[in-house]
Amino acid sequence: MTQFVVKPGVKNLKHDGEKLITTHCCYCGMQCGMHIRVNKKSGKVVGVEPRYDWPVTMGKMCPKGVTAYQTVDHPERIKKPLIKKNGEFVESSWEEALDLIEKNYKKLQAEHGKNALSVFGGVSMTNEKCYLVGKYARVALGTRYVDYNGRFCMSSAAGGFMKTLGIDRGSTLPWPELEHTDCFFMAGTNTAECHPTTIQWLWRARDKGAKMIVADPRETPTARIADVHLDLKAGTDSALANGMLHLLIREGYVDETYVNERCNNYAGLKEAVKLFTPEYTSELTGVAAEKIIKAAHIYGQSPRSVVMFARGVEQQNKGVDNVALYTSMALLRGQIGKFASGVATFTGQGNGQGGREHGQKADALPGYRKIDNPEHVKYVAGVWGIKPEEMPEAGVSAYEMFDEIQNGNIRSMHVICSNPAVSAPNNHYIWDSFKKLDFMVVSDFFLSETAEFADVVLPTTTWAEDEGTTTNLEGRVIRIRKVREPLGESKTDWEIMQLIAERMGKGKFFPYKNVPEIYEEFRLASKGGKADYYGITYDRIEKEDGVFWPCPDEDHPGTPTMFRESFGTPDGKANLPAVLWQEPGEVPTEDYPHTLTTGRVVFHYLSGTQTRRTQFLMEKCPEPYVEMHPELASQYAFMDGDYVYLETRRGNMKVKAKITKAIRKDHVFIPYHWGKELSVNKLTNPSLDPTSRMPEFKVCAVKLRKA
Amino acid sequence: MRKVMYLEFERCIGCRACQAACRECGGHDAKERNYVEYVDFFENRQTYPMLCMQCKDPACARVCPANAIQITEEGVVLSAMEEKCIGCRNCTFGCPFGIPKFDFEENKMYKCDMCYDRTQHEIAPMCASVCPSDAIRFIDHDEMMDLRRRRTQMNLIEGKKPSENNKWDYVPEFFGVYSD
Repeated sequence: MTQFVVKPGVKNLKHDGEKLITTHCCYCGMQCGMHIRVNKKSGKVVGVEPRYDWPVTMGKMCPKGVTAYQTVDHPERIKKPLIKKNGEFVESSWEEALDLIEKNYKKLQAEHGKNALSVFGGVSMTNEKCYLVGKYARVALGTRYVDYNGRFCMSSAAGGFMKTLGIDRGSTLPWPELEHTDCFFMAGTNTAECHPTTIQWLWRARDKGAKMIVADPRETPTARIADVHLDLKAGTDSALANGMLHLLIREGYVDETYVNERCNNYAGLKEAVKLFTPEYTSELTGVAAEKIIKAAHIYGQSPRSVVMFARGVEQQNKGVDNVALYTSMALLRGQIGKFASGVATFTGQGNGQGGREHGQKADALPGYRKIDNPEHVKYVAGVWGIKPEEMPEAGVSAYEMFDEIQNGNIRSMHVICSNPAVSAPNNHYIWDSFKKLDFMVVSDFFLSETAEFADVVLPTTTWAEDEGTTTNLEGRVIRIRKVREPLGESKTDWEIMQLIAERMGKGKFFPYKNVPEIYEEFRLASKGGKADYYGITYDRIEKEDGVFWPCPDEDHPGTPTMFRESFGTPDGKANLPAVLWQEPGEVPTEDYPHTLTTGRVVFHYLSGTQTRRTQFLMEKCPEPYVEMHPELASQYAFMDGDYVYLETRRGNMKVKAKITKAIRKDHVFIPYHWGKELSVNKLTNPSLDPTSRMPEFKVCAVKLRKA
Repeated sequence: MRKVMYLEFERCIGCRACQAACRECGGHDAKERNYVEYVDFFENRQTYPMLCMQCKDPACARVCPANAIQITEEGVVLSAMEEKCIGCRNCTFGCPFGIPKFDFEENKMYKCDMCYDRTQHEIAPMCASVCPSDAIRFIDHDEMMDLRRRRTQMNLIEGKKPSENNKWDYVPEFFGVYSD
């Protein structure tokens, strides 16, 4: 298999004594193509070279991507297992660490039953590993409690798409088509900072006259140049979307033929949105009625449009409704399943798409199967070689696992590829839960804030030390290549799960010698499911620049554009929602008069475990800050750079003020990439969406004073 | 060299990938030589990149008393030669664009050399290669001239911040694709 993939005529700079290995970035769902520079003699990773011929990103990278390689040979890497003895971590051998895990796991399960153990996974891993997390929890540990950090990231989008379209694939169209779109309706996505390499497509479309409508409480770099910036209050997306739908119907922009042929419940939707006149919508959202009307005209008249959204609309206690409503905008216009138009969510984590399809979720099994469906259980049990009745029932969502810890049901947790001590809402509750655990294992390659709570830390490899596949935000399955040998004694996550499985007496279910063997089993496990990867092979990915799922057999070309003929629902028709207005979990009151919203900055990724250890990124953005409008700042006499004390019903923090007019006057914004005293998630609200169980990171009521 | 650097300020999204990438270039000692600045963060998030113009008759080289700043035959203005640079910092004051940087520890200037190790083989410099918004591009001279003409036709809204609440007036209507 080729290590360096390049098309004829594309020039790359090759330094003497170095080789280039083609792979993708480890960070967000864009999965930008890159070549990693490796010193031939030492085998060390020394730099990065753009992959000009990767069709999704064309060699472009954001600062995280450029510096991603620096976490591989990083001095802070954990290279040996760590065991906590008298409150201090002590280096140990694998033997000793595994002995301890075996002893404790067996003891806890003997005393409290199988479900005393739990697994908290993550989706910044390859499909092979994500797939194995679900199997590891259910087969090796035999517990029902498995869930993953996608609950904080993608689950509302998944829920909304499942409900409306029947299949959850992040984007219904391939990214390079965006260039030909006439109008982008973008809600709650700070694309320029969170998915910067998408911008090239948007700007190219704009060069040709495409219009942009951006809904965001902050004037982000994309909102700044939008034709209409709908500066809505955080947590009012369902009202805005209903308002837009109202106008699309009122102004006759509905593609009636498409809706009649391909959608259910149009009458119900019509009835539900009747109330949302521009005036009423304006009252709820805080957006001027004229702007909403203007946006509706632009969107309604565009021949080809894409509705795009991200965490801004999803991380709410009505995230699923928001997604369903925004998706319906595309449905009413008859856009889904056509060229350069459709609906897309920006996947936050590297493998947020693939990682959520294959059974890391409490209620899901590989191939987007459901654990409450006996047919599905039977199939997957067959692939795994267990009896269907041995399959544990559905567990609970990520945040609810901490409730189970508090209730004493979960006694031990194995955290793999995640850092909930920073990324989960209501941090104090999370930290307290970790302390309540009898035994905690963390697999990570840096000592994250979560790892500090652990009894045993197992050193894993970075993305560059293992191979596999990921699925990018389009739904394109791509290849991650192994760039160097594992550092020190670190082991890949799949080897770790395998070792623990052996200790638990389940070694025969995990007989893998290498990653392709896992992939073969995984392909089979996904076969026939909604997310069918069966026809995708490593060879095809290399030859075809990635393959889009669903791809049921090797002759199948893959599916770049979804829903051309019909939707994934049982009757093949999309389900239009009818949703009433519902307030966010917390609204400003006299005591807590302002709204706090959180998000990313371009320099950091998720909980910052990796990016906070990268020199360039830390130089550019060393600490969190609170962004606020000068009008709000003047009410408290805050100057730019002053320390501000913020308090919500759950916690408080002190950060420096950054004053700008590019945010609503009644909102403040804090990025969430820092831990401990700098973690804004001490303040955020764990109000959960009823379907997706996603917490409402984006809205809570806050009070301010001078620090 | 037929290719030129082309900057389109208003496309900039302020991600600073160009700066991270600049550090990655072979002879750059992990120090960036380009700039990304906010126009005025109080007002909005518009940023712009700035890099060496590779002047035909560069002020930095002209004011150098030691003749340390060399120009390649392709016209690339290089960093001061280590053995010649006397650390006087004249170049940093002379440059009208404020490009040359000064390393006080090493007592020498350093500046953008357009990634000479790449561009001499007609491979795009690192900053232009990675720029996610195409604010920095490495393109053919003809393409550049074409783009310049097009820019005057398409007076995009980008970069012109409308004042509070009248974004309305600034919606560009000249594309003629839609009307009210």
